[in-house]
Amino acid sequence: MSRSGASGSAIGMAFSVPGADASSRTLIDIAEIAFQPATLTAIAGPSGSGKSTLLYLLAGLLAPERGMVVWDGRNIAGEGEGARDRWRRDHAGFIFQNFHLLEELSPLDNVLAPAWFANFSARPWRARASALLDRFGVPREAKRTTFLSRGEQQRVAIARALLFDPRIVFADEPTASLDAAAGEGVIGALAEMAGAGKTVIVVTHDPQLLARAARIIRLDHGRLADREQASAA
Amino acid sequence: MMNPLPIVLATLLRNRFTAILFVGLIALATALGIAISAQERALRLGSARAADRFDLIVAAPGGHNDVLFSVVYLDPTAVELLSPETTAKVLAGDRAEFAAPIGFGDSHNGAPVVGTTARFVEHLSQGLAEGRTFERMDEAVVGALSSSRLGERVGISHGHAGEGAGDDADFAADQLARGGTPEQGDHLPITVVGRMKPTGTPWDRAIVVPIEYNWFVHALGTGHAPGDDHIGPPFDPEHLPGVPAIVVKPESVAAAYGLRNRYRTADSTAFFPAEVLVELYALMGDVARIMGALTLAAQVLVVAAILAGILALLDLQRQRFAVLRALGAPGIFVFSVVWLYVGALIGSGIAIGLPLGWLAAGIVSALIAGQTGVAMTASIGVAELALAGALMALGLLLAVVPAVLTYRKPVVDALRT
Repeated sequence: MSRSGASGSAIGMAFSVPGADASSRTLIDIAEIAFQPATLTAIAGPSGSGKSTLLYLLAGLLAPERGMVVWDGRNIAGEGEGARDRWRRDHAGFIFQNFHLLEELSPLDNVLAPAWFANFSARPWRARASALLDRFGVPREAKRTTFLSRGEQQRVAIARALLFDPRIVFADEPTASLDAAAGEGVIGALAEMAGAGKTVIVVTHDPQLLARAARIIRLDHGRLADREQASAA
Repeated sequence: MMNPLPIVLATLLRNRFTAILFVGLIALATALGIAISAQERALRLGSARAADRFDLIVAAPGGHNDVLFSVVYLDPTAVELLSPETTAKVLAGDRAEFAAPIGFGDSHNGAPVVGTTARFVEHLSQGLAEGRTFERMDEAVVGALSSSRLGERVGISHGHAGEGAGDDADFAADQLARGGTPEQGDHLPITVVGRMKPTGTPWDRAIVVPIEYNWFVHALGTGHAPGDDHIGPPFDPEHLPGVPAIVVKPESVAAAYGLRNRYRTADSTAFFPAEVLVELYALMGDVARIMGALTLAAQVLVVAAILAGILALLDLQRQRFAVLRALGAPGIFVFSVVWLYVGALIGSGIAIGLPLGWLAAGIVSALIAGQTGVAMTASIGVAELALAGALMALGLLLAVVPAVLTYRKPVVDALRT
């Protein structure tokens, strides 16, 4: 039985970095934004609009200067780095544009990697890791992930993100490094996760992925664009 | 409980050739320190063991070092002779189990030929390995490592093969020219009748002849009255020439100190080899300390260079650690991965360097033993283990630096690169 997604919101959230002079440059300034379970939400916008920064703030990788990031009633923005790490491990999965696998390890060991963060033995997770690889059609017998195609590597990364059956899946440009066919497979997997009830938040430029998103959040200079668009997912 | 080992292994595999290079450098730096330490101890033990059976040495006034090296290590050094009167007085053997004259200056195929008494051969060798001791002036006993076989007849050359060879014999000849009369000729062939047990001293390569032979071939008489052809004590004070040194086995500790004081006169000196060795060891210790400091400096430089290299290497992998953090790895996990990674490199280097240093010390010991005849065995002792332990501790301490730096790197900055 898969865990359902989480409801989340960012309220009065701002984040800035030091500018060239004494002033700071605001990257994110959002009054309120909400996320629902069983929804594939895409974050879109031109380069430099703050898409990835917003994703990192929502995932607790960055702490906002002000405002809240609330997931199921828990404001992770007010917690320390260690607590946010634990929250991410227990509740979130992360998928990257360039997969970021441990190339020297097998696909199975890559999927099992998060298990070592809190357990000495990954044995209890082997069956689930194997099942995830089978589900995404990745050959388990490969000795190293470098022997896999790029599409297969991204599917290993997706399996890794799903090891602990997370309630929320964050993905940063997951199809940008893939050809159309491989990208389609990844989009299908993300849609499947949302269909299974998970909260899926994806930063993307990919029109195919945007077309499959139930909801699109457009950013412009760190702020929400005039209106959100909902596609017919 | 977390398990960073699989990620450590993956990180090691990622840059395996660089890791091997780092481990090799650490191993060499460690081996250098271990080899110097083990070699110095082997040298001390070997030289001390070699001098064990030379209880008290009486010689002509002068430097003790030269006499020690000539008598114990058979180093062809020019030494003065004791006067015949003093020789006779010491050989009388008062308060001693025995007093054995030592005469040298000749060689056979590069092996030193030493003249002494059968009693001293028995004392030094603690019984023979084969054959019997010499009973005639033209018989010899060879050291355990001598290439001469029992029954072999050997001709003795005047003087050592090395530099300064035969100086004492020349001195004896000069003495003779000033008043002595050669009684018989030179180069009397001798027959090997016995072989000593290994002593761990250069005497293992020597040909040991009766002291009478030594005197005889240098035209100094035999130490006995004409017509008296027995060998060994008692000698006839009227016919004794001078000798380079006399080894005395005192009958007690009190007698040892008493005899040492007695023969420290204007005409002679007496010393325990140990007291000379202690001074030499003190000097050697200073040299060892300087070398140790230089080695430590080299090791610190190597470790610093390797740490700099590791930092550069880890910087290239900062994205990997950022990804681990993004996947939920706590900071302590990333810290542990880097700390264990650096610790594994240093630990492997030290683990390889320890036996490598021991091997190097063993080779150097064998070379020195081959050159000097002083048996020495390099071993890994507490000092070397402590050195390796200290290096490991220092390495693990220094490994905290890259671990902290990596852990503190902003995750998002690395993810964006």
